[in-house]
Amino acid sequence: MKKPMDEKDLAVQAKALFDDSVEQLDAATLSRLNQGRHKALQEVRAARPAGQWARWVPAGGLAAAAVVAVVVWQGAAVEHSAPAAGSAADFEIMLSEESLDMLEDLEFYSWIDTANLDSDSDVG
Amino acid sequence: MRAYAGTFAVSCSREQSKGARTLQREHQLNQFLAGVERRALRFAEIAVRDRDEALDLVQDAMIKLARNYADRSDEEWTPLFYRILQNGIRDWHRRQMVRNRVMVWFGRSSAPDDDYDPVAQAPDPMGRTPDEQIESRQAMQTLEHAVSELPARQREAFMLRTFEGLDVAGTATAMGCSEGSVKTHYSRAVHALREALGEHWQ
Repeated sequence: MKKPMDEKDLAVQAKALFDDSVEQLDAATLSRLNQGRHKALQEVRAARPAGQWARWVPAGGLAAAAVVAVVVWQGAAVEHSAPAAGSAADFEIMLSEESLDMLEDLEFYSWIDTANLDSDSDVG
Repeated sequence: MRAYAGTFAVSCSREQSKGARTLQREHQLNQFLAGVERRALRFAEIAVRDRDEALDLVQDAMIKLARNYADRSDEEWTPLFYRILQNGIRDWHRRQMVRNRVMVWFGRSSAPDDDYDPVAQAPDPMGRTPDEQIESRQAMQTLEHAVSELPARQREAFMLRTFEGLDVAGTATAMGCSEGSVKTHYSRAVHALREALGEHWQ
């Protein structure tokens, strides 16, 4: 009567048979396994960053926008600074005492102006 | 300005080293999968008794490992891979049970073909005589049948420990259970197989 194998012998023999069956896999099956492996590796490639420069694209965009903003702001500042020179001259006139006197007698100068016009028309 | 240029240069350097690491990781993963895929196929084939289904299961496991665990250490890959594969096999069996119930309800049976022998048509690369090949195939067929008859958890424990050579801790990770459960399942599996194969093996 045959006795059942002990645990160790059974494991050894089972593993040997399994290894043998692995070695006997046909080429078509191995090819399909190879295809499956490459498909899996594409997942790793897909997860990889597009490139070292890709990370700087948003930063570059922000920098370009900042440069444009500075240029526009500077242009606006130049436009505003031209009338500022004229305003300084106006202030100078307005702050002189003569001009203030003239402003106090504005109605008088207006009357003179009207009178001169009338006399000019009479002469004409 | 120099500080910004320096930061940029450091960042570029980091990107390059990160890219190199990713390439190296991909290479390591490729080697790992190439080393495990054949055994994994036979592993799945014994569990589901269908080569095409087994190929799909192995491919799914490889994709899931690459997608979710590519950054893990090499030592972790083997138990993780087999855990993913085991989960796929369990899901496959659940789907089959549902399918069989539906088929029975419609009056059809989709029981697996008992004559299935995936190794039978393969040429022998080891140069053995036809008699030796037949003997080996018959022994493997008997073993496969006996293993496939085991309860699922016993089958998993036996195949992971015996066929894949995982230790108890690795098998526990792959099966998603405690090491004590692995020992129990494995012991029961071996006992059942000894009873089943005792007449054929000595």
